[in-house]
Amino acid sequence: MCFRRAPTASLRLNSPPHMPTIVTAERLSKTFRVKVRDPGLKGALAALLRPRYRDVHAVRDVTFRIEPGEIVAFLGPNGAGKTTTLKMLTGLLYPTTGRVEVAGFVPWTGGRDFKRRIALVLGNRQQLVWDLPPEETFLLNRAIYDIAEPAYRERLVELVDLLELRDVLDKPVRQLSLGERMKCELAAALLHHPPLLFLDEPTLGLDVTAQEAIRRFLSQYRERHGATVLLTSHYMQDVTALASRVLIINRGRLLYDGALDALVTRMARIKRIELVLGPGDGVTAEALATFGTVKSFHFPNAVLEVRREEAAATSARLLAALPVADLSIEDPPIEDVIRQAFAHGVGQDDA
Amino acid sequence: MMFRVPTAAFRVLRALWRINVAEELQYRANFVASLLGTLFWIVTALLTLAVFFRHTTRLGDWDYWEVVVLLGVFNTLTGVIEAVLRPGIGRLAGEVKSGGLDLVLAKPVDAQGFVSFRRLDVWRFTDVVLGLTLAGYALYRLGRVPSFVQLAAFALALAAAVVVVYALWVALMSLAFWFVSVENLSVLFDALYEGARYPVSAYPGVLRFVFVYLIPIAWTTTIPASALTGRLEPGFALVAAAVAGVVFALTRLLWRSALKRYSGASG
Repeated sequence: MCFRRAPTASLRLNSPPHMPTIVTAERLSKTFRVKVRDPGLKGALAALLRPRYRDVHAVRDVTFRIEPGEIVAFLGPNGAGKTTTLKMLTGLLYPTTGRVEVAGFVPWTGGRDFKRRIALVLGNRQQLVWDLPPEETFLLNRAIYDIAEPAYRERLVELVDLLELRDVLDKPVRQLSLGERMKCELAAALLHHPPLLFLDEPTLGLDVTAQEAIRRFLSQYRERHGATVLLTSHYMQDVTALASRVLIINRGRLLYDGALDALVTRMARIKRIELVLGPGDGVTAEALATFGTVKSFHFPNAVLEVRREEAAATSARLLAALPVADLSIEDPPIEDVIRQAFAHGVGQDDA
Repeated sequence: MMFRVPTAAFRVLRALWRINVAEELQYRANFVASLLGTLFWIVTALLTLAVFFRHTTRLGDWDYWEVVVLLGVFNTLTGVIEAVLRPGIGRLAGEVKSGGLDLVLAKPVDAQGFVSFRRLDVWRFTDVVLGLTLAGYALYRLGRVPSFVQLAAFALALAAAVVVVYALWVALMSLAFWFVSVENLSVLFDALYEGARYPVSAYPGVLRFVFVYLIPIAWTTTIPASALTGRLEPGFALVAAAVAGVVFALTRLLWRSALKRYSGASG
């Protein structure tokens, strides 16, 4: 009976006009009670005898809606509440207060019918069986999600093709690179064609090529199947390449909900120029300071911050004036943008 | 509804075990290691027993070969523990700590069943064979041929013993949900289970009470061995089965409240 449900779900996906909001979070809060422990042996003993507790507000009063087919990125520094929110949306955690509806279910009471509609990929944990080729894990998921043989074959062929997995399918997982393993994790998580994907740091620790491959795959997959993707990431590139919309969370609060471009042009008024100076001498911090704000200078590396619109011109001047071996222009790290957003506040008006 | 759940469970278990067998067959040396390890353990256990019996002719009113029958049962259960429980639910504490359990909880499976039976270290089933062989040999030395009813009672009591051992593991492992930092809960089980190496009647009264009613390890070895040697009425196996049923139901409840705690639904 179960396998009939999946096709129905994808049919519904192909007709977005009838599809209601796929994720609704209303005034979501999560408070953890944690034991407070003073440092040292004395503290440990005190905590053992008379435990003291402190409330940690991991998520506070967060409200948002996500429409089918959107790719939405949760951004925020470590401990901001991204993963806690993701866990509440997938039913792994109960919210302290607030309402959640995901794909028509309340996640933590949705049971197996709900779990068949989602995929959860955690960048720092793996479900692949270590000593065996990835296909063994795929077969296990085939059994778990009760996927009929023809559908399984068809999906496997597609995923292997999109993720370029032909050469790794029969190698034990332990011999695969980190990037190949993440690709296989994605394949394993998508065999049951969930309309909703939750990805927690899917590119964590991967090299640039692998990161790009994952991004390319995710956007292709979404185009083909209209799946909704929610992801958390530290990498600005993940977000710029994939997400049409970002939710910025810091200290449990939703600071910004809207298009990324609007945020970056509003908040990131600066660019970073990273320099590697060539052999030679005479380059001083003072000399660099005439080009922009020196963020760091440890010969031969230097990092300058300049105003966004001047980045190109300043780079040209730097190349002309100094013995530069390498130069790159970067957006400031996402933490900086967020910190800035947090310090100066972000209006929701252009969201 | 009634028939759907088991079919799904068996389908998943079959897929899991197929993987395990494939994995284990890569390490054929494990078979030899496991066999040698068990033989070595049995010899040591018999020697220890021989030392005891140099000073006495009876241990808790059991004679030498009766205790050897019990050792055989103990070894059989050890086989089940090492083949199924330790590699499966034994990893739970670590996964609660690392958060790896989330991936299981996000799947449309019964988490307790999945975590418990996901792995089979097939070679360790040699312990089951060797344990039963040892019990059979001891029975032969006792000069007793069990009747069919006694054998059936033994089979039922042994099955009940497996359930009780499983329940003890679930109960211990569930502690990980409350005390996240506990690393090696299986050591705790090993310490407890040492008590099952001797007939429960060999222990002083208080300990006997504990082993029968509180930490029910008496039901794991003493009862099946007694059923086999004819110390107990065969009908007593039904009591053992009932105990197993109650203990299983309790651990199921414990598991549920543990999961609720994990997701923050309670407290």
